[in-house]
Amino acid sequence: MSRAALGPALALALVGLALASLAIGDRAIPAAELLGALAGDRASAPASAMIVLDLRLPRVALAALAGAALGAAGAVAQTVMRNPLAEPGLLGINAGAAVAALAGGLWLHGLPATLTPWFAFAGALGMAAAIWGLSWRGGTSSIRIILVGIGLNAMAGAAAAFISLFAEITALQRMQAWLAGSVAQARWETVWPLAAWTLPGLALALAASRELDLLAFGAQTARALGQRAQLAAGLAVALCALLAAAAVAAVGPVAFVGLIAPHLARRLAGPSHLARLPAAAASGALLLMAADLVGRTAIAPTQIPAGLLTTLIGAPFFAWLLWRGRHA
Amino acid sequence: MPEPMPKPMPKPLIEARGLHVAYPGRAVIEGLDLALPARSLTALVGPNGCGKSTLLRALAGLAAPRAGQVLLDGADIARIAPKRLARRVAMLPQGPIAPEGLSVRDLVRQGRYPHRPLLGGWSTQDADAVAEALRLTKLEDLAERPLDALSGGQRQRAWIAMTLAQGGEALLLDEPTTYLDIAHQEEVMALLRRLVDERGATVVAVLHDLNQAARFADRMVMMKAGAVVAEGSAQEVVTPARIAEVFDLPVIVAPSPVDGAPMAIPTGAGA
Repeated sequence: MSRAALGPALALALVGLALASLAIGDRAIPAAELLGALAGDRASAPASAMIVLDLRLPRVALAALAGAALGAAGAVAQTVMRNPLAEPGLLGINAGAAVAALAGGLWLHGLPATLTPWFAFAGALGMAAAIWGLSWRGGTSSIRIILVGIGLNAMAGAAAAFISLFAEITALQRMQAWLAGSVAQARWETVWPLAAWTLPGLALALAASRELDLLAFGAQTARALGQRAQLAAGLAVALCALLAAAAVAAVGPVAFVGLIAPHLARRLAGPSHLARLPAAAASGALLLMAADLVGRTAIAPTQIPAGLLTTLIGAPFFAWLLWRGRHA
Repeated sequence: MPEPMPKPMPKPLIEARGLHVAYPGRAVIEGLDLALPARSLTALVGPNGCGKSTLLRALAGLAAPRAGQVLLDGADIARIAPKRLARRVAMLPQGPIAPEGLSVRDLVRQGRYPHRPLLGGWSTQDADAVAEALRLTKLEDLAERPLDALSGGQRQRAWIAMTLAQGGEALLLDEPTTYLDIAHQEEVMALLRRLVDERGATVVAVLHDLNQAARFADRMVMMKAGAVVAEGSAQEVVTPARIAEVFDLPVIVAPSPVDGAPMAIPTGAGA
C-alpha cells in the first residue's frame, strides 16, 4: 500500500470498526436505526437509540481514545529509548499510573473521573523519573532502562495488590475489573476527561515530531546537530507519561497496545514521526476497539476485559519480537 | 604576562586554549593548546586512546571542558547556543546509526535541523542546501534509496552530505574512513579534499592511517596521552624518531612514488 493512501485507509478502518461496534452486540441494531440514532433521532426507535448513544457510543469512544493514547505513548517511548521493546506497559509507567490512581481512590474513598488522570499522571511521571534515575550512570542506555523498568513494573504490580487489600469488597471488584484493563464501565463522564488529556497530548507529540525524528538518531548525532538531546528526551518521556496516564486513568493498565501499535505504524508509515505518530494512534485505537468488540461478543453474555485480549495477542507478539531480534 | 608571539600561519578558525577534558575519574586531555587554520584539511593522528576523538568532540562543543576554552573565530563556543553552533560547525561521530528505513534524502534533510525554527516549515534555502549537499557528494541519483541499501562508501558520503547540509564552515569527522575498504576510503578522502579546495571548507578528521593522513592532509597533528606532540606538514610530523616515540614502532619513512608524500613503513624489528 502506498503511503499516500495510508491516512484515508486508516480513517476508513476506524469508521468501519466504530459502526460495527455500535451495531453488534446482545441486541443487533439495524443500519437504519443506527444511522438514525447517530443523526440524533431518539424518537423513532428509542430503545435502539438508547443502546447506541448511551451505552455503546461512550464505550467505543473510550476504547478509541485510550487505544490512541497508548499507541502514541508507545511510539514516543520506542523512539526515546531507541528500543523496539520499550513500551509504557512493560516499563512500568502504566503500572505506576495505576498504583497512584488506586491509592488516590482509596485515600479519597473513590476518585471522581476528572481527578483520576491527575493521580495517574503523577504516578506515571514518578515512575518515569524513577526509571530514569535508577538507570542513570552519567548517561543512560536503553537496555538498562528496560531492565530497570521491568523490575519496577513488577514492584508496582505488587504495590497494587497490596493496596487492594484495604479496599471494601464491592470497591475491590470494580478495582479488579479496572486493573485488568476494561472499557466495560464506559460512561460519558469518563470519556470527557480522557479526551481532554489525550487530544492535547497527541497534538503536542505531533508538534514535536521533528525533535523525535532527531532523537531517533541517538544523543550523539542529535547533539551534533544542535539539539539539547537530554532535555528533549526528558520532555518526550514526560509526554509519554501523560498519554499513558490518560489511558490508564480511564481504562486501567491495558498491556501491549503500546507495543503492537507502534510496530504496525513503523511498518505502515516509515521513519517520519509526522506520519508515524498518527498511524500509531490510529492502530492503537483500532486494536483496543477490536479487542473490546471481540471481548464482549465472543462468549456473551460473559464479557472478556479488553486488556485480557490485548495481553493474549501481545505476549506472543513480544516473544516473537525477542526471537526475531535474537536471529536478526 | 606577555603574550607569546603568534606563529606565522593562516588565521585559525578553531583554537583550543589550555583545554582540560575529563571523563568521570579520568583526565583525557590536560592543558592542550591547538590552532586549526581555516580552509585546510587537518588530520588528527595518534595511538588508540590518546584522546584524539575526545579532542574532536571538545572542538565541536560536545564535550564540556573542565578548564580552558575552545574558540571559534575568537568566540568561546561554550557561550554559543547549540543550534547556532551547529550552523557553523558540523561534527560526524564515528559509526553513526540512522533509524531503520531512512532514505538518503531523509538523512540529508536532518542536516537542516539547526536552521529550522521549532514549528517552521521547509524553506527554499533548506531545499537548496539539501540539493547542493547531494550534488557535492554525487548522491543525486541515490537520493531516494534507503540507507541500508547503499555500500559503505556511499553511506559515509550520505552522512557527510548531511553535515554539508548544515551549511557551516567547519566540518569535524571522527574516523570517517574506518571500516571502509580501500577504494571507499579513497572516495571519502577525495571528497574531503574537494570540499577544502573547491568550497574553502575547514575540515578536521581523526584518521588511523598515517600514510593516508600524509597524502591528503595539509597539516597533521599527532597526539600522545592527551597532548599534542607534533604538528605541521606531513614531512615535519612523520619522521622515524617521532613514530618510534609515539607508537613505539620502528619504521622507515620513504617518499611515495606517486606524489612524494612521506610513507611510514614498519621495519618489523619491533614485533
